[in-house]
Amino acid sequence: MKFNSYYEPNTVDACVQILSEQGSDAKLLAGGTDLVIRMRSRVIKPKTVVSLNAVPELSEVTLKEDGLYIGAMARLMDVSKSELLTGAWKIIKTGAGNVSSMQIRNNATLGGNTCNASPSADTVPGLVVSGAIANIVGKNGNRSVLLEEFFTGPGKTVLSDDEILVSFKIPKYADKTGAVYKKYSIRGDTDIAIIGVAGKITLNDQGEVADVKIALGGVAPTVIRVPKAEALLTGKKLTAELIEEAAVIASESCTPITDARATKEYRTEMVRVWVRHVLTDAVQEAQKN
Amino acid sequence: MSECEKTNYIGKSVPRIDALEKATGKVKYFEDYQIQYRDLLHVKVLRSPHAHAKIVSVDVSAAEALPGVATVVKGSDPDLPWSDIPYGSSYYGNPAKDEVIWAGQAVVAVAAESIEIAEQALELVKVVYEELPYVTDQHIAIRPDAPEVISPELGFAAGYMGFQPEGPNVAGSYKMTHGDVDKAFAEADVIVEGEYQANKKSTSQIECNGCIAEYQPDGVVKLISNGMGVHGVLKKHLLTMYPQLTASTLRVIQPVTGGSFGNRLFPTIEPLAVLMTLRTKRPCSYVLTRKEMYTSSPSNWPVFTKLKLGAKKDGTIIAEDFYLVEDAGAQIRGYYDGRLSASGLMCVYNIPNVRCDSYGVRTNTMPCAPYRGLGVPESEWAMENLLDELAEKLNMDPLELRLKNIIKKGECNPYGEKVTSIAIGKCLEAVAEGIKINEPCQQDDGPWKYGKGIAAGGKQNTPLGRSEADCLIHSDGSVEILVSCDEQGMGAQSALRQMAATELQIDIDRVKMTRSDTAVTPYDNFGASSRTTYTTGNAVIIACQDAIDQLKEAAGREVGLAKKQITIKNGKAYVVGSDVEVIDIKDLFKPFDFFTQQTWGLLQGTPVRGRGVFCPAPAVPWFGPGHEDGRTPRMWNWYQYSAFGAEVAVNVETGQIKLLKLFSTADTGNPINPKLVEGQIDGGVIMALGFSTLDYHMFEDGKMINANMSDYRLPTVLETPLQKNFMRAILPDPLPDGPFNAKGCAESMMIPIGPAIAAAVYQAVGVRPKEMPMTAERILKLIKDKEANDAK
Ligand SMILES: Cc1cc2nc3c(=O)[nH]c(=O)nc-3n(C[C@H](O)[C@H](O)[C@H](O)COP(=O)(O)OP(=O)(O)OC[C@H]3O[C@@H](n4cnc5c(N)ncnc54)[C@H](O)[C@@H]3O)c2cc1C
Repeated sequence: MKFNSYYEPNTVDACVQILSEQGSDAKLLAGGTDLVIRMRSRVIKPKTVVSLNAVPELSEVTLKEDGLYIGAMARLMDVSKSELLTGAWKIIKTGAGNVSSMQIRNNATLGGNTCNASPSADTVPGLVVSGAIANIVGKNGNRSVLLEEFFTGPGKTVLSDDEILVSFKIPKYADKTGAVYKKYSIRGDTDIAIIGVAGKITLNDQGEVADVKIALGGVAPTVIRVPKAEALLTGKKLTAELIEEAAVIASESCTPITDARATKEYRTEMVRVWVRHVLTDAVQEAQKN
Repeated sequence: MSECEKTNYIGKSVPRIDALEKATGKVKYFEDYQIQYRDLLHVKVLRSPHAHAKIVSVDVSAAEALPGVATVVKGSDPDLPWSDIPYGSSYYGNPAKDEVIWAGQAVVAVAAESIEIAEQALELVKVVYEELPYVTDQHIAIRPDAPEVISPELGFAAGYMGFQPEGPNVAGSYKMTHGDVDKAFAEADVIVEGEYQANKKSTSQIECNGCIAEYQPDGVVKLISNGMGVHGVLKKHLLTMYPQLTASTLRVIQPVTGGSFGNRLFPTIEPLAVLMTLRTKRPCSYVLTRKEMYTSSPSNWPVFTKLKLGAKKDGTIIAEDFYLVEDAGAQIRGYYDGRLSASGLMCVYNIPNVRCDSYGVRTNTMPCAPYRGLGVPESEWAMENLLDELAEKLNMDPLELRLKNIIKKGECNPYGEKVTSIAIGKCLEAVAEGIKINEPCQQDDGPWKYGKGIAAGGKQNTPLGRSEADCLIHSDGSVEILVSCDEQGMGAQSALRQMAATELQIDIDRVKMTRSDTAVTPYDNFGASSRTTYTTGNAVIIACQDAIDQLKEAAGREVGLAKKQITIKNGKAYVVGSDVEVIDIKDLFKPFDFFTQQTWGLLQGTPVRGRGVFCPAPAVPWFGPGHEDGRTPRMWNWYQYSAFGAEVAVNVETGQIKLLKLFSTADTGNPINPKLVEGQIDGGVIMALGFSTLDYHMFEDGKMINANMSDYRLPTVLETPLQKNFMRAILPDPLPDGPFNAKGCAESMMIPIGPAIAAAVYQAVGVRPKEMPMTAERILKLIKDKEANDAK
């Protein structure tokens, strides 16, 4: 693993400055659990590495009037233990806690998990159903993108070479909202997910579904929503049959591939199984909150 | 406690000699030696991306020109010993010349000042391939019209020992008949039949294969390697490959190693490192990456078994007929003819009429080598599964069916060999009791369903030649045992030390082990087929006896008694019978005296050297006139046995299997060190849990697609039952000719795990797995198929 220069600036602006000078020769280093592996195996050969580790404010988690802000450099271990993530936000804790082992979580960051743009990234489905917004800084200023629209393909995002993801804004959730993420893998959290399912349900006073979001990981080039299933459930009181129907729709609306982790047939079937579990549990959570 | 009991270390869990150093990180693995060399070169290898292709051209000029590159090796280099080499095994570590025959085969190798430079150089190499038809599926490879694994014009004809194969990829065949099989099936009340497959798997030891070859100023090449058999594998093979090296100019050292399980029985990396050191006269270090461990170091041989059993109503099995194919991968030399795997189907049960029709076939996949169990966990997968089905058909308890049919001590197995030690009955009864097989599992409404199962296994010990040992009695009265046995973590040297201390009747703290340096320690073959305890152990005992004999002679001379009047124990010589001490052993060694010059007698500073050589009795040939039926009174040596009981949970939604409780028993002969045996059992159980439910090679476009530890799913601590549900017992039948009646024990516990889990799966969800590993996907498919069938 060889590269020419390494920077560790103290401010976001300085990072942006270096990125705009180096262009595509530079790579950002967060926890390095994806980046270093790809550099060591010579999949990517950046000339410059720019670390975000010396910018302290990038790791902050703060509760504000309009929602919760999580810095891109927040370590997954800290996210998985954060006391600010309560109620329907717990889904983000769950996703972070599902990423691999303690050793990995101690290094890996929420921003890294997102920017790596793996379709099976464990934190993304939970962030998506929570309506997370990605706050981005670049040489042309700041912009915010709905996380759902952040990904353009496997390993691809809307970020340009000079841009940094600085934080996530998680909007507040309504009363009677429950959100659940389930990772399905063979050897527990140490494995990369075969599929991941996130579901968020808000009930109205009559106990009907006022709002529902379902996101699937590991079954398409990016994390996807399932609008058809969401539409089916909205305005209705959930029954086992209805949930099963939504699960079938979800399994039919994904386009998984076959790889070393699972065949596409198995992934499809698992979507059906786990959407069912997620929705069942999310309704229960919603009734509690 | 009598003196003799005090120094009897047999059956005692004496701590391993290396326990403290290993736990504190003080032992040296081969990589720790790298820092000794300031001018070390690093080797990296370019590998074939194709399962089968002609090498049209190789251009290494840009790589050679890269600063920091010391040497580049390609298959057509004249100093590369690629041509036919005797001793049937694989040398595919060296670059291929005309053709690549699996994805992962070496094509070009570079030695450079750093790993980065070597990797960069490989990216500059230009290879033009012409892709050829390939076959990775053994069921296609065995057909007469299958694509050829290697082009016939290269001269590696199929066939083995005169056998004329039907297809281009059939490597050999072993056939045997015992009794009248057709008649027996005609007389059977119940017949069961099934087809079973065990997949390709890698041993996955945590330390990757590696070595350092050093060229010394006097022309000696010193090789430090974590490979096996310093004499019997590495030195022997390297000398046949490089005529410029001689018995005295090649020295091989095995430091502490991180495992082999058979993977290191063929020297797939050392020949290249040695060649590069011969060329450059500089030390070369060659370490495989984890990916290369999967794609470019040996796997097991997968086995397909089609088995048929016939039984009488009372459960007596009277007929067995099987067709079995070993998939040797791209192993173009070697002895793959099915007989190793077939041995598993003829060593546990006494079936009077048996027909074995077995083959070895080649495919364009990683060449195989022995993998813990030598192919019998793969074949007994068939036997034990089918027995469970037979029991069901007979409406008989699977335990009772097995107990009724096992070979009894003193009986002959289907080969015609007398079995002198077998405790499988005890083992089976214990596991059935241990997991309470007769108490049904509690079920609930959730997706997890519960079940229990048991199975048995037996494994032959292949007589694999000579072991030597030296026993030095130093003039301070301490003992040093010199051996070249492999120590791949099993604790062999600790057990050998217990044998030596017991034989010499000396405090074990006074016995030191020196191991595996061809310049220092005597010959041994290699640690395979669980042979070390038995073969090297017997050699150690003989060496100790030889040393005792010399001490008796010396003590007798000193005090004027005949040798037979002396006995040696506790570092002293006594008069036989009376126990009167005559002399301390230390006092037999005289100081140097200027006037006598000490030209004879025992001298301080130089030890008495006892020599021991042990070889198992040779096998009796099973071919040629008089052996047309393939039988022989001595096919193998002795047998180790194991039984396993499993309680599992199966998820009907996902197909996942969880092992909740297990009981493993092993007949290891008289255990020398029970704690070490338990370590073997536990390690074996977890390894087998892996290949039974999780890990195997997956192929796409002729390439392995899961060559990393993330996708090649080995069991972790999360997949193993809690300590309190992880049970084991040693239930020995002493082996008459074993050292202190011990057998070896490293393999049998691998065998019954898969089938016991399969039986438990059947109890839980009513499906019978036929393919190993029983992955979640495969189990779910069986469950879905059953649901669809039941709905009809
Ligand atoms: C053994 C192992 C197991 C794993 N298991 C899992 C798992 O179970 N689930 C899972 O989801 N992932 C898993 N991963 C992947 C990885 O750990 C996660 O994706 C992790 O969150 C990445 O974060 P990081 O901080 O280490 O990112 P890095 O490796 O530092 O960066 C990843 C990519 O994102 C870019 N990047 C990082 N931060 C920013 C930023 N702020 N702005 C713009 N670009 C940025 C980097 O340039 C790089 O391209 C595993 C990895 C390993 C090694």
